[in-house]
Amino acid sequence: MKNFFRKVAFGLKPDEKAPSDPLVWAQKQVEIIPEFNWKGKHIYSEKEMRKYWITQRVEENTTLRKKYKNDPEGFRRAEEQLRNDTGQRYWPNNEICIRHAEGIRSDNPVLAKLWYFWTNHFTISDTQSLAEFSTGAYHRDFIRANMDKNFETMAIEATVAWPMIMHLDNKDNEGPKSQSAKEEWRRREKRPATLNENHARELMELHTISPDAGYNQKDVEELAKIMTGWRPKWTKNKDMGHDVTFFSDRHEPGKKYVLGKEYKKGRKSLKTVIKDLANHPSCREFIATKLCRYLITDYPTPEMIAPVIKAWEQSDGYLPEVHKAAIKVAFEYNDKYRKFQNPENWWLTTINMSGSTDKYPVSEYNMNKFVFGFKPSQEMRFPDWLLEDIGCHPYKQKQPNGYSDLEKDWLSTELVIRRLIYAKKAFHQYKVKDQIDDTIHERIIRTNFDNPDKILKIVSKAKTNEEKHMILFNLPEVLKA
Amino acid sequence: MKISRRDFLKGSAATTLFLAGFNLPVLASSSRKKNLVVIMLRGGMDGLCAVPVIGDKDFEKRRKKILIENPIKLDTDFALHPKLNAFHKCWKENTGAIVHATSIPYTARSHFEGQNLMESGGRVPYKEKTGWVGRAMKLAKLQGDGLALSLPMPLLLRGVPKNNNYFPSDGKLPREDTLDLLKSVYADSSEEELMDMMNFIKKRKNEDMMSGYSSSWDKRKNNNLSKQAAAYLRKPNGPRVAVFEVNGFDTHAAQGGVNGTHTKCLVEMDDIIKNLKAELKDAYKDTLILTVTEFGRTIKQNGGNGTEHGYGTAIFMAGGLIKKSQVHTDWPGLKRKELYDGRDLNATLDARSVYASAMSSVFDLDFKRIQKEVFWGEELQNLSDKLFKA
Repeated sequence: MKNFFRKVAFGLKPDEKAPSDPLVWAQKQVEIIPEFNWKGKHIYSEKEMRKYWITQRVEENTTLRKKYKNDPEGFRRAEEQLRNDTGQRYWPNNEICIRHAEGIRSDNPVLAKLWYFWTNHFTISDTQSLAEFSTGAYHRDFIRANMDKNFETMAIEATVAWPMIMHLDNKDNEGPKSQSAKEEWRRREKRPATLNENHARELMELHTISPDAGYNQKDVEELAKIMTGWRPKWTKNKDMGHDVTFFSDRHEPGKKYVLGKEYKKGRKSLKTVIKDLANHPSCREFIATKLCRYLITDYPTPEMIAPVIKAWEQSDGYLPEVHKAAIKVAFEYNDKYRKFQNPENWWLTTINMSGSTDKYPVSEYNMNKFVFGFKPSQEMRFPDWLLEDIGCHPYKQKQPNGYSDLEKDWLSTELVIRRLIYAKKAFHQYKVKDQIDDTIHERIIRTNFDNPDKILKIVSKAKTNEEKHMILFNLPEVLKA
Repeated sequence: MKISRRDFLKGSAATTLFLAGFNLPVLASSSRKKNLVVIMLRGGMDGLCAVPVIGDKDFEKRRKKILIENPIKLDTDFALHPKLNAFHKCWKENTGAIVHATSIPYTARSHFEGQNLMESGGRVPYKEKTGWVGRAMKLAKLQGDGLALSLPMPLLLRGVPKNNNYFPSDGKLPREDTLDLLKSVYADSSEEELMDMMNFIKKRKNEDMMSGYSSSWDKRKNNNLSKQAAAYLRKPNGPRVAVFEVNGFDTHAAQGGVNGTHTKCLVEMDDIIKNLKAELKDAYKDTLILTVTEFGRTIKQNGGNGTEHGYGTAIFMAGGLIKKSQVHTDWPGLKRKELYDGRDLNATLDARSVYASAMSSVFDLDFKRIQKEVFWGEELQNLSDKLFKA
């Protein structure tokens, strides 16, 4: 039973009392979206974050390049200073602190774990400096903020949000027969208006119906046509980080057909088509499968997926109901199936079970000490470094399909070495008095396992407390929940 | 400069057909351990900075501020960047060659799409979930023979299970007892994959691969990684494929001449070749080192004395499996009408022909099988006999 707390959350702190009704405890957490646990002073909206992004990109790409064109060393130095001025190294750390505080300091760790699921579903991969300035804020404003709405709402907002439009190049998706295509400057500058199918393809393949729906290349092109014209407004011939809006002069005229359905030209069609995709049977099956894979096992059975699909159908894709259904299935299969935890969730479980959540994530007090123009301290930069080093940085996926959720993809020599080394690092998050406390492992184990004696017996074979940490957090019972 | 279009690539298809029947028995009889090393040059490597043409006034005019001075003359038409000392040494020993005016078949100039395609070997970005090396290794039944010098398994190697990677973190491995204890726990719980990992890790501990440098920052530099990789590769039972990454070729500004940013990246590549050659020792003669990049760069320098994303570029090849030192090219010329889109060096050869041929030689696989099963039967030329030793 106690495995359930690791399965849907991050385990229990030493001496924490287990909730008497774990299922109710877990399900209640997904009903509403509470305020962030994090009380640091730098929580800005995605839109506000864009101004730092603009400064970084525009300065770097224009001013500095011109100024230091014959001076590579000077260019590197100026680039470095600019990074400090815009807080480029600070923001991702700050965002990770917000993200991880939800997981291990708040009263709603289950909601946090599901939030992480959705941020990977709507991956913003590491391009165009979005990881440094925008992705964390995107996860807050468009993913978490919509976890108490229908999937359809989340999908629409996640799609037309500025970072996603940038990330999947829809800014370059322009109707070849649009008004803008005929403009003189395109001929002059050799920049014809062409479709860019990237976003359309991922909207179907990754975000909604998946290839199982059986769409073809023509459907992708037609969806791309519907999406033409959705881009940020440019001023001064540059992207200045303005909101994404619909530009009818770049929109492909005429009717479009996606999966056999007709869509009219114009701005309204995008919402309509996303609504249709979100309500397609393949969409709920795809997402129910992914949810079960995330919580229960790499290869979920149709019996596991069915109740989640049913909840989706009955609630019209209302996410709290979908989540509750998935949690219930996870609860029912808790004894039979164990899920290999990705490095990020494993790290949070390790810190939480150790009881060192006051040390990690970095405190608000310490993060607030950041001063623009200076390099953030080593301590402030730990979260970013940590996630990169364990190979699971939520803002730095290499591809739009996000991180794999299969055990085999997380088993490489280096990644397993990281678990050993970071279990040790987790031990060193302790204050000295905890490090020398010889009862600490027994307390962790008695709180977190149904079979504490067996676990204790294994762990007691280690010679030092530090080694006990390495063993305990690399046991199959912790690696898999 | 007057380079006549060379015909070394023409007629290759016919040669392939002709030789196909003779090749097979030779392939089957080979039992040497042959190694393939791929160095991924991320950001778009400027083939004309690394291997400039000699005496082309158009070229020199368009690159006034970033022209490489005192390049090393390789033949009548091409020169080598003067800082690429290790490669030049290979060249002099007849184990270094270049394919020029080549590219993967991708022309849309996005790094992310381009890098995805240089690894997947396909034509549609993000469509393939495996890499061309991984698929060929699977075809050659080389399970557990891949080594990535990076943390996530690169797409290039995906498609075959049980690859190893080396990219050290801070900190030391635990005592052997601790590893043994975990191994026995995994054995008791039938966690076979985790057990496999513990075997890799125990080996690594014995080999002392974690030490030698004070910080993980230094340990992770290609300078160290290449030495360690060579130590693995030269073992008879070690891996047969290694994959490196060099970042930072995207020099839109201050690309600089002989001391610029692009040079820095090229030297990093050159150091990998240097270390591999030195540390592979005898195994160097049975090794093939190749580079791959997503695209070349524009001929013309931009306002910031850098270059923009282009198309055609060059492939570096080194190692004892090279047939002879030569710049192989079907040179398209640099006059405006000869350029791709009027701005980039054209590619007269699909780079995947070189890669498919290389893998055919190193993995002892029939070219046609690679062409069919790794590259979906696309039209590629078999250059094995021209470029490599069997």
